[in-house]
Amino acid sequence: MDVWLQWAKGPLFWTALIFMLVGLLRHLGLTLWETARAYRRAGDKNVPTGQVLRSTARWIFPFDGLRNRWFYSFTTFVFHVGVILVPLFLAGHIKLWQTALGISWPAFPNALATTLTIIVVAASIMLVLQRALAKDSRILSRFQDYALPLFIAVPFLSGFLVMHPAWNPFARDPVLLVHVLSADLLLFLVPLTKLSHMTLLPFTQLVSQLAWHFPHDAGRRVGVTLGKESEPI
Amino acid sequence: MATAQKYSYNVEAKGLESNDKPRRFLQAFAAILQHGNYAVAMDTFARLSAKCGRCAASCQLYEATGAPEDIPCHRSELLLKIYRRYFTQSGLLKARLWGGFRLTDAYIDEMAEAYYRCTACRRCKVNCPVGIDHGLVTHLARWTLAEIDVIPRALLVSVREQLEGDTKNTSAIPVPALKDTCEFLEEELQDIYNVTIKYPFDVEGAEYVFFPAVSDYLMEADTLMGNAAVMHVTDASWTIGTGNYDGINYGLFYSDRMMERIVNNVIAEVRRLKGQKILIGECGHATRSAWYVPAFGGPDAPPVVNCLEYAHEMLEAGKIPLKPELIPERVTYHDPCNIARSGRIVEQPREILKAICADYVEMSPNRTDNYCCGGGGGTVSIDEIREFRTGPLGKRKAEQIRDTGAQIVISPCANCKKQLRELCQDNDLEDVEVLGLHDLLLRVIDFGVPAPVGANAQGQSEAWDWRG
Repeated sequence: MDVWLQWAKGPLFWTALIFMLVGLLRHLGLTLWETARAYRRAGDKNVPTGQVLRSTARWIFPFDGLRNRWFYSFTTFVFHVGVILVPLFLAGHIKLWQTALGISWPAFPNALATTLTIIVVAASIMLVLQRALAKDSRILSRFQDYALPLFIAVPFLSGFLVMHPAWNPFARDPVLLVHVLSADLLLFLVPLTKLSHMTLLPFTQLVSQLAWHFPHDAGRRVGVTLGKESEPI
Repeated sequence: MATAQKYSYNVEAKGLESNDKPRRFLQAFAAILQHGNYAVAMDTFARLSAKCGRCAASCQLYEATGAPEDIPCHRSELLLKIYRRYFTQSGLLKARLWGGFRLTDAYIDEMAEAYYRCTACRRCKVNCPVGIDHGLVTHLARWTLAEIDVIPRALLVSVREQLEGDTKNTSAIPVPALKDTCEFLEEELQDIYNVTIKYPFDVEGAEYVFFPAVSDYLMEADTLMGNAAVMHVTDASWTIGTGNYDGINYGLFYSDRMMERIVNNVIAEVRRLKGQKILIGECGHATRSAWYVPAFGGPDAPPVVNCLEYAHEMLEAGKIPLKPELIPERVTYHDPCNIARSGRIVEQPREILKAICADYVEMSPNRTDNYCCGGGGGTVSIDEIREFRTGPLGKRKAEQIRDTGAQIVISPCANCKKQLRELCQDNDLEDVEVLGLHDLLLRVIDFGVPAPVGANAQGQSEAWDWRG
């Protein structure tokens, strides 16, 4: 068991982390490259940056956006807060970073981390239930839309059990192994699924805007490519 | 030209043939992605689409029908699925490993239907947490479909006349008829308002070259008289070019290739007349496509001014003298999506209306969050889908109008006006009058001369048809 744990916490974790970072950097690099290319080709370089920044900020800090389907939106919001903050600021995690790389930063009180963890687990179940119960989102949903929130809950639930042995009906080590393995797998999944919005979200408003900034003769060139430039309408 | 009811709208015969459409669609899509700026947006949308369903709560069509295919995200997925399968590495790999989705004629027919049930009003874009612009996807899908000849016939024949016809405008109005119409309008202004106003033609070096929706010359006499009156009282230097007097651009609705040519023709006419600025009349999509003048014409292209911006600026500057009496009826304002959604022209018309109306009320929601009239994206020109437009697509707008209790709905857009009139007829709102903003402004401009006795002080010119 210990060998497995060491493997999951060591080589597998580092591989997963690097895979995630490289994958996200690739997304980021390609998006920035393509965005810059779109801007270079745009006939009208006058991009309404204020509007783009406002709409981007509106969805990165979505307080205003909570009005539409507010309960669903609220669940999503608290889910994100926990998912982002707990892994980064849990004292136990910071200790691991310190051991491995000698770096550290201020930690959350464990009570806060526990509260947020419970919120994440509850919110992930609520998200899936709400998705399944509302007709419009149920119709749209793919397998990953149900699977991802539930899968994200696994490292949180197992982490909670490891931190609170009194609540844990299983042995500590297997649960810890589930915790680490599920977290590793999640890191692998980030760049491959819609979870990649963690790096791409800041660019969505900009790329939408730039798509409307047509290259000055794109239409003509499409006509030439398709051999239609002299075809009557 | 043969048409048939394969889709809910008519298309020309070649759009109905099964001539290798999937392959041609993919070729066209590839060419558009190669030359246009859509690829990075499609790539981002294809990765991030969260399927949260929030767009469903902002679509008036889905609110009315509750049909899955009317959810904006569901509709966008139709094209995103093709993008993922044929234009991403992982899609190509997956297809190689275990087959799966293939583009078929039936799938193309599904898209042809879906993307013309959407008016590309872009209300859902404002409410999408991951920023997917479903209006952009509709725009792109329609262009790609157009390249395989799936185009509503109503839009196609208008563009054909505008770009290749004798009259060079969408309503096929020849120059003599245009001049007759303007003479008639001059007489009306004289008879009703006792004021001599000329419609200037081909004045070289004019500051403003005027491009209304050309259909206004057939259907919106009061709007055009209002436009001329504003130019008259502000002493503007303006002209109508007889080489091109149509601001309409149906290319915006189905093909960037056509839109580009139409915008370039507008620029060419202004250059021919050595005019300084493009003045756009009361038309939503003419306004929006004119905003693409710098894109197609480059930095040296003439600046674009909308007549709403012009009237507002002149009113603010005190250059439009107004009668002391305000418009007594209850008036509300419908924001045309193409004018208001991006936030560019939102407050100007309101400030004008507040200055001239005694009882101005807002419909709710409004401004950038408005509901489409139900005739956006060119659908208003497709007469065969009227029942759909004034039914499920326009139901929400009809309710909004009813809730305001307004007697007059103002909308500075030829398309919105046509749709709103049909909407009111079909939804028991016959008493509601639908007007352009300049129609109302005309009624309260103080020309400094008394109106002739017995003149119809409400404006309301008789309908004029040059063909009669």
